[in-house]
Amino acid sequence: MKRAMLGPTGITPMPPRYRESLFWLALTLMAVTGFWWAGHSREPRSTPNHKVITWIVFISPLRDYYEQEVAEFERQHPGVEVRIIWVPGSEYHMKFKTLAAAGQTPDLFYSGDVWASYLRPFTGDLTPFVRRDAAEIGLDDYFPEIRAAMQHEGHYFVVPETVNVALLYFNRGLVRAAGVAEPTASWTWDDLVQAGQKLTRPATATDPGVWGCSRMEGWWGEWLTYVRQAGGTVFSPDGRRCVLDSPAAITGLRFYLEKSSKFHISAPGGFEPLNGFVNQRVAMQVVGHVNFWLNYNQVPGLDWDVQLLPAGPASRTGGEVAIAGYSLSRTCQHPEEAWALMKYMTRPAAIEEVVRRGSISVRRSIAEAQIHDPHRTGNPRNLAAVYEQLKYSLPIPRHPNYIEIMLQVVQPEVDRMVLGEITPEEAGHRAAAAVNDYLATLAVAGP
Amino acid sequence: MNRRAELLWFWLLAGPALAGFAVFNLWPMLDSLWLSFCQYDVVTAPRFIGLRNYVYLLKSDPAFWASVKVTLVFTAVQLPLSLAAALGVALLLNQPVRGRGFWRAVYFLPSILPQAASVAVFVYIFQSDGGLLNRLLALGGVAGPAWVSSPTWALPVVILISLWGFGYPMVIFLGGLQNVPRELYEAAHIDGADAWARFRHITLPQISPVIFFNLVMGVIGALKVFDLAYAFGAAQGLTPGGPARATLFYGLNLYQQAFTYFHMGLASAMAWLLFAVILLITWLNFRLGRRWVHYGD
Repeated sequence: MKRAMLGPTGITPMPPRYRESLFWLALTLMAVTGFWWAGHSREPRSTPNHKVITWIVFISPLRDYYEQEVAEFERQHPGVEVRIIWVPGSEYHMKFKTLAAAGQTPDLFYSGDVWASYLRPFTGDLTPFVRRDAAEIGLDDYFPEIRAAMQHEGHYFVVPETVNVALLYFNRGLVRAAGVAEPTASWTWDDLVQAGQKLTRPATATDPGVWGCSRMEGWWGEWLTYVRQAGGTVFSPDGRRCVLDSPAAITGLRFYLEKSSKFHISAPGGFEPLNGFVNQRVAMQVVGHVNFWLNYNQVPGLDWDVQLLPAGPASRTGGEVAIAGYSLSRTCQHPEEAWALMKYMTRPAAIEEVVRRGSISVRRSIAEAQIHDPHRTGNPRNLAAVYEQLKYSLPIPRHPNYIEIMLQVVQPEVDRMVLGEITPEEAGHRAAAAVNDYLATLAVAGP
Repeated sequence: MNRRAELLWFWLLAGPALAGFAVFNLWPMLDSLWLSFCQYDVVTAPRFIGLRNYVYLLKSDPAFWASVKVTLVFTAVQLPLSLAAALGVALLLNQPVRGRGFWRAVYFLPSILPQAASVAVFVYIFQSDGGLLNRLLALGGVAGPAWVSSPTWALPVVILISLWGFGYPMVIFLGGLQNVPRELYEAAHIDGADAWARFRHITLPQISPVIFFNLVMGVIGALKVFDLAYAFGAAQGLTPGGPARATLFYGLNLYQQAFTYFHMGLASAMAWLLFAVILLITWLNFRLGRRWVHYGD
């Protein structure tokens, strides 16, 4: 009987129910092993003697520089390892928030400008570090406007590395050719219009023409400057109400529109020449970005310079100052080491190097040296105006939903205004009403 | 094979796919359904808020109905045009002409080009200042409009760009046309039917299942458009969905809510609303299809 149960090889075959159980066990083991292997972190982990700092960085031309600096920092700080997470700029915030959702918020991240509010839920308060090390970091060396932009409600959240400031850019060649005087520090909107009209050259069959002044469409960069210079703003002081329907704000919106519709110094809505300033199709531009300077200086025949923004009816103040720098995660496990890295990356020598690579300085001492450097070549020549403009600049309103409010709610109304579908009054009132509705809904039943 | 062995083989072969579906589709879908009733910003734990996301979308969200309108207009205009173009080209490519294989490849080629690349090229053609089209119009003394940056023209331009890639429905139509029995045409020809009558009374009924398939898939695809809208905004450096929400497609709006503003609960609610609408339209299509789709049985 026992003999009859043996299989052809002489081995007793496994009963089917055991065979089935074994199959499931093997499958489960394979699945568990597979998931473990796939999900197992291969990243370096901190130990008491070896602390790992993670830093998420945009991929940029500064990559080599950052890697060199980090290597030097690690050499000077044995026991600290810096793991840089390189991310393409367009994916930066999605990657950041995905890491945060997975409980792996990077210790250091890019912040400043509009992102300072957007990233506030993740950002640690740097105030104790900044106050403790004020002398070491040279807090007084930062421009006062930049120190203000580093803070929110009296607390420090960002240590800046670079800054952008809105300016009036002008094409010196086109200005000379039109026999127009170069912009001065005392210009007002009227001067901008008068010069713009002289600089505007209509297109012909053989000449694409020149517009006196560009107009940046599709975001708040330029129109917000005029709104502020006219005495308006976006939010009430407590941030709970949109006040774009105020007469002053509407004056600013109107000037933005009338640059094309009344004064004819800018292209009509939707017809702004592509890269007009670089292509010498526009003679002046308001706002601009210091990051583009290197590009401008490589364009043959483009001789350009900058000046303070023309003053509006209420004030010269209104252009944007946007710092870019470092923030610390509020869940950082090694804040002292991360702070040491922040200090290292923003020390005067590091800022000098960043300036040498095309940025402007957040520190006064380096700015003054840059202005008075007799060997400095290239444009802009009027570097003093760049730093002078800081005095008349403001950071972006500090509202956590600022980007969404401006792009989703306000900008469509401004777009309609630029295209002549609604008046500045209608744009201001419609935008304010929509934002106030949004804010009210957000407060009680928002997403 | 006994029943137990059959069951074993079933699980062995279908198990991995079912497990994959359960883990990577079903579970995220159910999770998303749960999230649609929550306030969730990815970082803090989801907070149950009942139907507020749905109420906010339907009653207060300034972008929701705008995106619904854009998507419906796109579907209503683009789908018939795209199906007509695909069928028309398929009919031509079904003719016994020299180099037919080459022409079929040529017409299919745009469908395998990355959407972002072709959109970037089209945006340059339609650029208001210095774009190819406006330059050509200027030669004839016509001042072209701001095609891509005007709320009036932006959506028609997107529709036009989308027609460029009708390769997939065209290939399916071609397959259907090749299955129409030749003897039907011969019989009709003998009876004196002209080309239009043959097309109307033979071709269309015979390929109606293929038309129905392309229609259902086309509706689903049109309601879910994302890459085209995203690339269109990015190519011009515009606010996504701009100008003035003229190209704010539902899919783009959903993406922005989820991955730009991190309103995951709201985005989940949008996804479920879209799912419900697609389900409803597909069901309607099937109901109405009974009247005009002939399966030859």
